[in-house]
Amino acid sequence: MEFDAQLKLQAYLDGELPAAEAREVAKFLAQDQEAVLLLGELRNTRQALKGAEAMVQLPESREFYWSKISREIDRVERPRPVEQKRPFIFRLQRFLVPVTGALAVAVFLGITLFSNSGTVLGETELATEDMGAITFRSESEGMTTVWLYDRGDSELSDEPAPDSVEPQ
Amino acid sequence: MSDKDHSSADDQELVRSAQKGDMGAFEELVARHRDKIYARALSMMRNEEEAVDLSQEAWVKGWQRLAQFQGEASFGTWMTRIVINLCLDQLRKHKRQRTESIEAMDQESGGVERQMPVVTVNPTEGLERTELRQRIDKALAKLSHEHRTVLVLHEFEEMEYKEIAKAMECSIGTVMSRLFYARRKMAAILTDLRKGEGQ
Repeated sequence: MEFDAQLKLQAYLDGELPAAEAREVAKFLAQDQEAVLLLGELRNTRQALKGAEAMVQLPESREFYWSKISREIDRVERPRPVEQKRPFIFRLQRFLVPVTGALAVAVFLGITLFSNSGTVLGETELATEDMGAITFRSESEGMTTVWLYDRGDSELSDEPAPDSVEPQ
Repeated sequence: MSDKDHSSADDQELVRSAQKGDMGAFEELVARHRDKIYARALSMMRNEEEAVDLSQEAWVKGWQRLAQFQGEASFGTWMTRIVINLCLDQLRKHKRQRTESIEAMDQESGGVERQMPVVTVNPTEGLERTELRQRIDKALAKLSHEHRTVLVLHEFEEMEYKEIAKAMECSIGTVMSRLFYARRKMAAILTDLRKGEGQ
């Protein structure tokens, strides 16, 4: 028996054939014993399955099962934060602000370091014992001036000061 | 959740309330149909954990699509269609992941079933309802996913060929041949189980 004929036989059993084709199959069945046997087997299987689905119970309590569903519903229904479509210039701002800041610092440092005729100001560290100090007090002006200097690098020394300047 | 008692309302009333946002009504619908939805997922997936997860997912989808439910079919049937579609998606994912074995290809083409002699004695005759159910379940477990699915959809869900073809994303011809081989294989397995019973 051809495979197509077997499938047609099954379609006949399932009521899926148009009336004309169903009549043809019925005629064919009257002449073919093999087809009758096959139809019988298909019918038995079909009938065995009808309403014979295993009775199954969900292995979870009503409350537990529902709690998971309601939690998931809450999660999917929670409004998502909408990312606003901001204009290009605002998005560019994110990068422009730090770049502008860094440039401003660089320009400031450049101006500060090279402002005195292009000479670079060095950092000077002096220990206390290397330092000298001269204090000048003008009573008439009401002012005190303290002069700090590097002993090794200065023309001033710890020698007695000129008359007008009295070290203290 | 509302405090209203929904237990006396019928499904249609519950659906209408749920469509207006009453979660209590929806909870009652879940309680009424949860076993059926889970059973359908289990019959297709043959895995309890997956069946529980997919049935839950189906309920969440059901809630989200509740506005689309017009009542042409019963609420239970509508929900069953949702879980069937989720199971079919999941089975397709499994199929993509696993390597097609020669045996699986043979099952698909019906290489073995074509040679099988016709079973002339009804292998389930005289069986008690409970016994019959157990035997059918055992036999279904021995089928490939494709053959089991087509049998479940045709015999349990009473879907027509074209509906099955649409759900399984295949041609009507494929549905017909899968159904044919699935039935033939079921007949052979049920006969074996009957023979084993006497030993």
